[in-house]
Amino acid sequence: MAVVLAATLMPLAVAMIFFYVPTDVDQGYSQRIFYFHVPIALTTYTLFAWGALNAARFLWTRDMRLDLKSYVPMHLGVMFGCLTLVTGSLWAHISWGVWWYWGSTELTTFLIIFLFYCAYFMLRFSVEPGEKRATFSAVYALLGVGLIPISVIAVHTAQDIIHPITFSRNGANMDGSMFATFLVSLAALLSLAVAMYCIEMRGKRIDDRLKQLRRLAEASS
Amino acid sequence: MIDETAVKYVAAVYGVTWVVAIAYIGILHTKFGRLERQIDEIVKLMEARSDG
Repeated sequence: MAVVLAATLMPLAVAMIFFYVPTDVDQGYSQRIFYFHVPIALTTYTLFAWGALNAARFLWTRDMRLDLKSYVPMHLGVMFGCLTLVTGSLWAHISWGVWWYWGSTELTTFLIIFLFYCAYFMLRFSVEPGEKRATFSAVYALLGVGLIPISVIAVHTAQDIIHPITFSRNGANMDGSMFATFLVSLAALLSLAVAMYCIEMRGKRIDDRLKQLRRLAEASS
Repeated sequence: MIDETAVKYVAAVYGVTWVVAIAYIGILHTKFGRLERQIDEIVKLMEARSDG
């Protein structure tokens, strides 16, 4: 289902971005980066929050399947986070003339979140597989998710005009066609993330079953 | 009139995203290939056992 949705929405989003949405009067053609960069960033936050939610569920139930359901979104979140930084950096260079701007609170906060979750893997793979590793990973994942609201608040409280605020309490600061394109892109990226999650989970489950099967086959021969 | 530099940057952003998505599919393809080989090994192990 998610794979079909992603395969339909991704080309639709690209078509809308290049053939439907008007060119922004202020930023010009490069504003089209917004329709991928912002949904990728929001998908990153969603994946980290999803991983943390499953981490909390693991700590509550001690069900080891939830450890895997927490790890996979973290893994995908780092991948989408990497894409956010690359696409953001390209947009920054064309718009502001710099690849990175350290004076921006929201950029720095996002980088901290990204590096925090990169370190998640260092922690996870430094502990032997089992309940201890799952517990350490879950606690770490939960600690990191607290940074997400800080990042969102930073975007809205930052007084610098370099990173424009697109969504305020008055709604979206863009016209109807732009907002529709943004929503389609967001749905496309979220469905792509869900599709990747489902495929990766299936691969990991097959891997686990194969290991069990191999052990059984070797024990009985 | 479209700014050519802007077009290059927009193309780079969309290119990077697609490259990452395709690389991810490639990695999964390799992983599923490895799983397939492991299944073959287990099948051979089981066949050898039933022959013996």
